[in-house]
Amino acid sequence: MKRSDKIGRAIAFYFSVALFCVLLPIMLSYALGYQIDYRGFKIYKTGILYIESRPAGADIYLNGRKYPDVTPARIEELKPGSYRIEVLREGFYPWEKEVAVRPKMVTKADRIVLFPVKQEMKKIGGSGVSDFAIADNGYIYYMKKSGLYRSTMDSSSMKRLSSYSKWPNNVVGKRFSPSGDKFLYFSAWNVWVVDLDYGRTTGRGAEEANVEEVFAAKDPITDAFWYPGAGYIIIATDKDIEVAELGRGGTRNVVMLYKFNSKPRGIRYDESTNSLYFTDTGTGLGKDLGDSRYLYRIELKEKFFDQLIKVLIKKEPDSGYETR
Amino acid sequence: MKRDNFYRRIFEIIPGFLTWATLLGLIIGAFIKPLWVAIFIITFDLYWVIRMSYLTTLLIFAYRRLNKERKIDWLKKCEALTVEEGLKHRDVWHAVLFPTYKEGLDILTPSIAALENTNYPTDRMIVMLSVEERAGEEAWQNALKLQREHAKNFARFLVTRHPEGLPGEVRVKGANATWGAKLLKEFCDKEKIGYERVVISCFDADTCADREYFGCLAYHYLTNPRRTHSSYQPIPVYNNNIWHARSVARILELGSSFMQMIETMRVEKFVTFSSHSMSFKTLVDVGYWPVDMISDDSVIYWKCFLHFNGDYSVKPIYVTVSMDVATERKILPTIVKQYRQKRRWAWGIENFPYVMIGFMHNKRIPLIKKIRRAFNILESHYTWAVWAIIVTFIAPLPIIFGGGLFRQTAIGYNLGSVAAVLFRMSLFTIFVCMLMTVRLLPPRPKDVKPQKRLVMVTQWLLSPLVAATLGSTPAIDAQTRLMLGKYMHFQVTEKKRKR
Repeated sequence: MKRSDKIGRAIAFYFSVALFCVLLPIMLSYALGYQIDYRGFKIYKTGILYIESRPAGADIYLNGRKYPDVTPARIEELKPGSYRIEVLREGFYPWEKEVAVRPKMVTKADRIVLFPVKQEMKKIGGSGVSDFAIADNGYIYYMKKSGLYRSTMDSSSMKRLSSYSKWPNNVVGKRFSPSGDKFLYFSAWNVWVVDLDYGRTTGRGAEEANVEEVFAAKDPITDAFWYPGAGYIIIATDKDIEVAELGRGGTRNVVMLYKFNSKPRGIRYDESTNSLYFTDTGTGLGKDLGDSRYLYRIELKEKFFDQLIKVLIKKEPDSGYETR
Repeated sequence: MKRDNFYRRIFEIIPGFLTWATLLGLIIGAFIKPLWVAIFIITFDLYWVIRMSYLTTLLIFAYRRLNKERKIDWLKKCEALTVEEGLKHRDVWHAVLFPTYKEGLDILTPSIAALENTNYPTDRMIVMLSVEERAGEEAWQNALKLQREHAKNFARFLVTRHPEGLPGEVRVKGANATWGAKLLKEFCDKEKIGYERVVISCFDADTCADREYFGCLAYHYLTNPRRTHSSYQPIPVYNNNIWHARSVARILELGSSFMQMIETMRVEKFVTFSSHSMSFKTLVDVGYWPVDMISDDSVIYWKCFLHFNGDYSVKPIYVTVSMDVATERKILPTIVKQYRQKRRWAWGIENFPYVMIGFMHNKRIPLIKKIRRAFNILESHYTWAVWAIIVTFIAPLPIIFGGGLFRQTAIGYNLGSVAAVLFRMSLFTIFVCMLMTVRLLPPRPKDVKPQKRLVMVTQWLLSPLVAATLGSTPAIDAQTRLMLGKYMHFQVTEKKRKR
């Protein structure tokens, strides 16, 4: 090994050792949240404040003093204590909060939403809109006096799907079928189904919809759900739960699935378990259990078809409900 | 003997134990003491980055030296020498030994041709092919064909068949090399050539020596006052098929070339590797290569070191010997091949128990020297086995498993950004590797497109991925086998070239 290489190696080695010795305490103290005061030869604990806003680029004020960076920002080497943070951006409402910065810890204010002072608003879809429905597939359906229309979410590509115009004034709810090819809407007394795929399934044209009333209730309707497969609708009224069969032509099978002992205070259908949850008094078996109210579940997968078969052979429905 | 066996087992267990204790300790620590593990990781990362930068600096020094010495006409320098220690350059015989297995003519012919193309007088060169008997008749016929075709170009072209199953031998390259060296001894005795006048170069079958190799070797041998107390190590490069090899294989082989260049700058730790040369007298004195160990290239150094009571060193010679990149046509077989080759190299950890037992018996080596050398072996294999795992897989564990409270601490929050800064610093090493690759590349063959040159540079961007997968795992595998007493058998890395 040549002398020049030896000297070069020795310099590189000792420089590396020195660099390690110098950098290690600096890096560790930085990582651990310590700050070295080189003037006073003191080490003190600090905390970190992380601020993120939506939209980004907002000014940050700490205890009234403007911080040089805008959001998102990581403010380091803060002495522990309470700080008043203000996040300001022109055209947006300010955000303000008092936060505590703890030693060697990170305090996050990362869910700040700044709302615009002037909301952007414009008319879309033209006039004469009685109601509308928004599907998961990114379309808006307009229930207009001149018919049923569809557009994309930015109101472009407007297309008339049906000339149906007898929309009720008092629509209580709307639900799309799991496959998205139908949606139902209901008032207090009736349920309608809009078949968005009508044109394709009947061979009348690719994009034509059909609106049909499928159910008329004796008691006020509180909710309506799709049964998986979209061949049936479950309708909850103040008095009972009924199931109406869809389909064109022939008799429409309607089954009363359950009769409430008292008016339900809540009803919900869960798709994942294919079950109906609702509250009622008693067990539903006619036994008087006083004034106590329970949460019930009906597993529709089995029970509904049991019911249907029993209706067809004119037997009383079986009621085996699980109390939660 | 019984005592030796006991200590041998202990020394076999130590490297694997240290590696597994470190890795498992850090993994468990990430769950129960994430803060401590995070501090360790930052310390280790910084140590590793600075170490890499230091080694990269040595690589630059070594390259500068190689570049300078490549331009020297070594033969001319030899001829200009006065009689050095009773020897002049015409007195020196070069014996080149190729212990071979099933390597075909496509591999062996270029190696022999490279010897013919050196500028050293070939009438002072003895070539010897020692073929494994178990390689079969075809391998033997190939050796005879090479002898017929090339014998006229050398002083002697000897071929021999190494019989299988000799007492005390296992299927390792060292056994074959030893058989060939014994034949050479017979030849020297018959021709009355003094062993000190013979420099033996033990080459892998695919080794193509540089034109200046033997001149450079002769010069260093002649001018070294302790010529028999040194081995002579060239710079191994893997240029034979580098243009046709897969990126993963290229990165790994170039990496090992660079590592060898770095080692030339750390002579106090330098150990022989792969193809190298030494005095034939020394080889005979120490009783040839080990016949029952896989890593014959490094064990021969330790054998000499123990024999000469620590007064033995490796002298780097700045000429290259070119070998084949272990590669295949497809990526997966290439990875497997590389993994096996690196595991065999990592099996060099078998030197540790060998050296430690040797140190226990040899009271004439100074204690400080023993401690230093033992530490060097252990440290190099230990860091080889743990670094890539710590840097890539263990570093994020405290954040993942440390829990919500740890993530809210400053160190939990800063760990990622500190690691990112350190990673950016390591880009310096990658940049130097890119530069070196361009400088060391052989001319582009005609069947390779010009844009492949760009790939040769950009391939280094894959290096973090290659390091993560193949950086440490072969070493862990080898150390674990040694720890558990599941000893490895020699696996020949099959050499193939694109025709």
